[in-house]
Amino acid sequence: MLELKTAIVKYGAATALWDISLTIRAGELVCVVGPNGAGKTTLINVIAGLHRIASGGFLLNGDDVSRLPSHRFCGKGIAIVPEGRRLFASMTVRENLVLGSYCADAKRQRRETLERVCAMFPVLVEKLEDPAGALSGGQQQMVAIARALMAQPRLLLLDEPSLGLAPTIVLDMFRIIRDINAEGVAVLLVEQNVAMALDIARRAYVLEEGRIVAEGAPGELTSQPHIRRAYLGM
Amino acid sequence: MFVGALYGLLGLGLTLSWGILRQINLAYFALTFLAAYLCYQLSTARGIDPLATLLLIAPGFFVIGVALQWVFARFRVSPFNSLLVTFGLTVIVESVIQSIWTADFRRLESAYGVAKFRLGVLYVPAPELITLALSIALSLALYAALRYTDLGKAMRAAAEDGPMASAFGVNRRFIALALSGVCATLSAVAGVCLALSYTLAPAQIYAWIGVVFAAVLLGGIGRPLGPLIAGIVIGVSEALTMALTAPSWAPLVSFSLLILLLLVRPDKA
Ligand SMILES: Nc1ncnc2c1ncn2[C@@H]1O[C@H](COP(=O)(O)OP(=O)(O)OP(=O)(O)O)[C@@H](O)[C@H]1O
Ligand SMILES: [Mg+2]
Repeated sequence: MLELKTAIVKYGAATALWDISLTIRAGELVCVVGPNGAGKTTLINVIAGLHRIASGGFLLNGDDVSRLPSHRFCGKGIAIVPEGRRLFASMTVRENLVLGSYCADAKRQRRETLERVCAMFPVLVEKLEDPAGALSGGQQQMVAIARALMAQPRLLLLDEPSLGLAPTIVLDMFRIIRDINAEGVAVLLVEQNVAMALDIARRAYVLEEGRIVAEGAPGELTSQPHIRRAYLGM
Repeated sequence: MFVGALYGLLGLGLTLSWGILRQINLAYFALTFLAAYLCYQLSTARGIDPLATLLLIAPGFFVIGVALQWVFARFRVSPFNSLLVTFGLTVIVESVIQSIWTADFRRLESAYGVAKFRLGVLYVPAPELITLALSIALSLALYAALRYTDLGKAMRAAAEDGPMASAFGVNRRFIALALSGVCATLSAVAGVCLALSYTLAPAQIYAWIGVVFAAVLLGGIGRPLGPLIAGIVIGVSEALTMALTAPSWAPLVSFSLLILLLLVRPDKA
């Protein structure tokens, strides 16, 4: 459903991503790993439509979206759980979720989706009228995921969802990501928690200094000594 | 109290564009006076009811607001530059007003000017009551729109984190154009209210800026009910000051209140 072809991404004159070729098929769980500053967030933001590619191809369901304005990506079935959550902190949890379903298609089924999402994150039910900024880190991360699900995405982008969470909540987070994927939503997961990410991913890309240096099934990647040493500490 | 309602009406557009569009738009003061003069002209020369002139003026001002935002977006004007640019616009509009209507005082004579309503023991001039009613109605309407409609939520979300709002489908360009149009329309309403109760002179534009800024800051930037409530507080304190001391002390009130607030709650401004 998504294809990047030899895409180059720049911040002003500085190139952040070089010759990125990446595909995600419908319903697939793909993970991207790499050291700090490799360009993982940049990649996620490009796919969410928040940053444009400087050259190369970007197709969504066969359509060229390299010049599409940011606010149209949501309608194409893409939703983002950004790095650092970026909730609308002064607005209530409910308002954040309503905003998640701002797109016309999602708006029509807002009530049903809200019920589903509340069933998925029962702790949020009693927090619906609280300002999102007042919640704990783990709860905020749940709101960020719930907000993205409200958009009824076909591709969910997750940028380091486990960052800063307690270990038991990290386990919950991974279970939730798996459940979402099991319902047929494709997932692109960026994670520092490489072992756990590779455990649930179907395919993975390794990004270093703005370039994809390896890709394949998790098993293939973990058999390469360089990757085991750099990312799995073995 | 009634002058406070006018502070509130003038401050409403200012606070919304400041809080949501991140522009400190002084041009609303000039637009308000332009609307006041247009109202004066239409009702004096053509005999149109002053309130009915609003139906003619408001759509035009909506377009002006949209055009203004289009230019701001086109040239990516920063919040600080917006202050300078709109100050320049204000000076331009002032001289346009002066060249058409001269620097002389103009007073709109209408049936509203002499009508009075009885409120208990008080006789209130109709223009002041109209101003209060419009100010309350518009502040409440905008409060409700921002709180309860999807478009209003989208505006607040875009103010808080623009790119994230875009990622969820909010068309920020469109929202900014629409909001700027609404703010300019609010200044048209304020202008008509001004023409109903006050004698107009071009240089008076600047007399309103200080106290309305105080109302906006006291009320909390971006809060639609803020300028009205703070405006009324300032208006009442001014009236009390005038009654208890000398009229010349009144302008000190708003700024004393503002400085007091900044000392007590520095995070609010
Ligand atoms: N807004 C920006 N302007 C200029 N350069 C940027 C910007 N954002 C990121 N960069 C640069 O692009 C490169 C990739 O950054 P990015 O945030 O995508 O990395 P990352 O892999 O997500 O890192 P982390 O693991 O720390 O989240 C870095 O060298 C960074 O300095
Ligand atoms: Mg990152």
